[in-house]
Amino acid sequence: MDLKHRGFPSPSDYFGVLWGLSGIKDLVILEHGSPGTCSYNEMNYRIMNRQSPKGRLFSSGMDQDDVVMGRADKIVEAAKELDHNLHPRIIALVATGVTSLIGLDLDGIISEIQPVTQARLVSFPHGGFAGDYNQGIMEAFRTMVDLVKEPADHKPFSVNIIGPTIDSFNNVSDLAELERMLGLMGAEVNTVFTCRTAVEEIEQMASASLNLVTRDLGLEAAQILKERFGMPYIHGLPFGVRGSVRWMNDVADILDLRLDKRMIAQELLKYGYSVLELFGFMQNFDHLRSFLSCPCDYALGLAGWMAEEWGLPPSAVVLPVRPQMSHVPEELERIGVSKVLIEPESQAMEDALSSIKPHVIFGGSYDLQIARNVPVKIHAAFPAFDYVYRFDGSPFVGFRGHAYLTQTLVNSLNAHPEVFLS
Amino acid sequence: MIEAISNEAGFSEKCIRLSNLSGPGLMPKTACAQYPGMHCSFRAVAGSVTLIKNAYALLLGPAICLYNAKLSMSSRSLTSDPRPNNLLFLEYTQDDVIFGFHKKARETILEIDRRYHPELLFVVTTCLQEIVGEDFEATIDEIRPMVKARLLVIHTENFTSQEATPGIENLFLSFFQLMLPQTVTPRSVNILGLWTYHARETELALLLKSKGIAVRNTIPSFCTPSDLAGAPGSRMNIVLDQYALPLAKKMRESFGTEYIYCRKPYHPDSIEIWYSDLAGALDIDLSEEIWRMKKESLEMIARARSLLSGWSCALAWNTGRTFDLARLLSEIGIKIDVILAQTILPDDLEDIRKLLFMGVDPWVFRGDNSLQTESLLNRLKPDLFVGGQDPQSLARLGIEPRSISLSHSMFGFGCCNEVLSRLCRRGPGIEALMYKEDLVSQGAA
Repeated sequence: MDLKHRGFPSPSDYFGVLWGLSGIKDLVILEHGSPGTCSYNEMNYRIMNRQSPKGRLFSSGMDQDDVVMGRADKIVEAAKELDHNLHPRIIALVATGVTSLIGLDLDGIISEIQPVTQARLVSFPHGGFAGDYNQGIMEAFRTMVDLVKEPADHKPFSVNIIGPTIDSFNNVSDLAELERMLGLMGAEVNTVFTCRTAVEEIEQMASASLNLVTRDLGLEAAQILKERFGMPYIHGLPFGVRGSVRWMNDVADILDLRLDKRMIAQELLKYGYSVLELFGFMQNFDHLRSFLSCPCDYALGLAGWMAEEWGLPPSAVVLPVRPQMSHVPEELERIGVSKVLIEPESQAMEDALSSIKPHVIFGGSYDLQIARNVPVKIHAAFPAFDYVYRFDGSPFVGFRGHAYLTQTLVNSLNAHPEVFLS
Repeated sequence: MIEAISNEAGFSEKCIRLSNLSGPGLMPKTACAQYPGMHCSFRAVAGSVTLIKNAYALLLGPAICLYNAKLSMSSRSLTSDPRPNNLLFLEYTQDDVIFGFHKKARETILEIDRRYHPELLFVVTTCLQEIVGEDFEATIDEIRPMVKARLLVIHTENFTSQEATPGIENLFLSFFQLMLPQTVTPRSVNILGLWTYHARETELALLLKSKGIAVRNTIPSFCTPSDLAGAPGSRMNIVLDQYALPLAKKMRESFGTEYIYCRKPYHPDSIEIWYSDLAGALDIDLSEEIWRMKKESLEMIARARSLLSGWSCALAWNTGRTFDLARLLSEIGIKIDVILAQTILPDDLEDIRKLLFMGVDPWVFRGDNSLQTESLLNRLKPDLFVGGQDPQSLARLGIEPRSISLSHSMFGFGCCNEVLSRLCRRGPGIEALMYKEDLVSQGAA
């Protein structure tokens, strides 16, 4: 039974394409479908950290006559208009369900109008029928990584961050912290593929020396760049003190940088306080049970940190989308997670919550709604329709992420002192 | 981010002087590439069915539409007009397109009936199924005897590209299927086209109640299927918007329920006529109340005039009679540069005539394309923007937003007063936003 009520219908590949492309300057998206779909997306972007697709996303305004007649003139006219008025480098023609259904040939349209269009035209023909949003994000990554050219120059201490897209939870703060940590090592960010980039920056990605993959969905793109340009990559996010030091060491090794121990010490003095330093002497917390519901990179990182540094391995981890790497469930079990649920229905999640009775849950807005009896709820995943993360000072990753999240946990538990009783 | 488009994109053809409007209908589109474009009919229906009590709505559609519908209702839950969580979702996949959706839909409806026991279940389709053309009515007819819930199918017909109108009209018309002949209760009415959590606390509902008129139903606001079934027992339908009009006509045809069609006015003179017409139709005397409330509104107009006379504004499309709202703004001395309209209704023509008679002849422009609208606003540079629009974009253009969204679910003089009160003061946060955007634009320059 695919009926949904308390949970949410998974966003389709169509959304992944939109979100994977929306962070690219000088690229515009022209979707071919009912005007209502585009209008609905205004709200959909807004719930993702109050963003807007204005100036990036357009609809051709297809109607029933176009469907009946199999006409393509609206998308052709709209593409020409965008090319003329906005002068983008790329126009992405994106199918919606209806376009896929009637079998409109977007590549055929591109062949017809590319000769009279300044912008490069690319097509995304699946229209929401190719799987969940991760498929769409990977499709966007594959198409965009094709643009990468042989580098004109080589930047020895420059890295690309591959993975964050406009839907990535907490990306503003997390990126700020990654950049800060790279700066401490003497490295810099070449581009953030794709939530903060431009067509020219993508073309020049191979001038960097390393790709940092923050999300499993970016692995395929990183592998392509490795094969084409010999670029090494590191996958994973720095969670907790140990995770942050490990990540910095890995980056420094590849970039041939020396990690200054005094700098690390200063970071730890400033941001490395453990839970023991923040809890009171009489605050017993080793009985606390926690529950995680996050995509795999956050889930792995947070679970490892919680187990290693807080001494609180999550009792259960929900992976709302199937990870690209098959070993993730085993890895979570190795960390000490006793229950791993992959893409569960909301009822299965409710059952797990009732049997575990966690004190703390990390997850998306709908997870937190379902977990109505859990005292401490911390937003840690998409979708987060009731949570804003625009400020860049609340990272989950890196040294500052360690400080911020440890402090948040302690404050949240203090607001629910009943959790210390049992 | 691409911030603006060329200003040379044929504004002269797209901006029409009110006096040159040829008649009712859709305004000319402002661009081929549209954002956000026309309102989604499926979205409008999904947001409205939640207002019916003891009911669930099963939304059948591709993941695109279902995800957006869920998020939309979730966002709504954070507002002052939240909607119950009674939407259910069943995804229409590519396999369903190829192999058919009947079996899945049928099993799901049976499951909903078992699990949720709704008195009424709406089955709502998107344009995708409507294009595929599967006969859902046949499926529904087949399983009707097997479920306890009443089943109503609503086709949202988004692809007819007439904004949300077809879907909402179909929603109203679906209520007709629940209605049964009744003995008519004297001094009773239904109010059709009242869309709010607070329907029975509106000025209109309270005033009628105070005169001994029983408001049996406020449709679609929080009435139950049984309430809807009993609706023909009212002596009259008061129809507040165009979407409910087909239902009112059908009720008159089938049950003899008379109706009075009176879209929401804003100007005190119009409100006086509106109430007087209602009073006449219902044979009640509202003259004292009208006089008292109108006096208060006129006093507020005088205050507003002293504050705002000489200001200019752009006016967004609002609930009810937007051109009558324009008359109210003109009455307080605000110069209306442009009205952002999408569809002009036949009954707008009388308000347009009155506006023109006052010597007010603003531009009219279709407001569903943000970049074109902003480009136009940048040319016109009005002092204020009245209605819903992204406040940051307005502030960046040096235009003060004045949101009147709370007036959307208000009626009568209370609505007029609410609008005047919002016009007269900056909303919270506006001053800081304007200050910041001013500095940002100076820095950018």
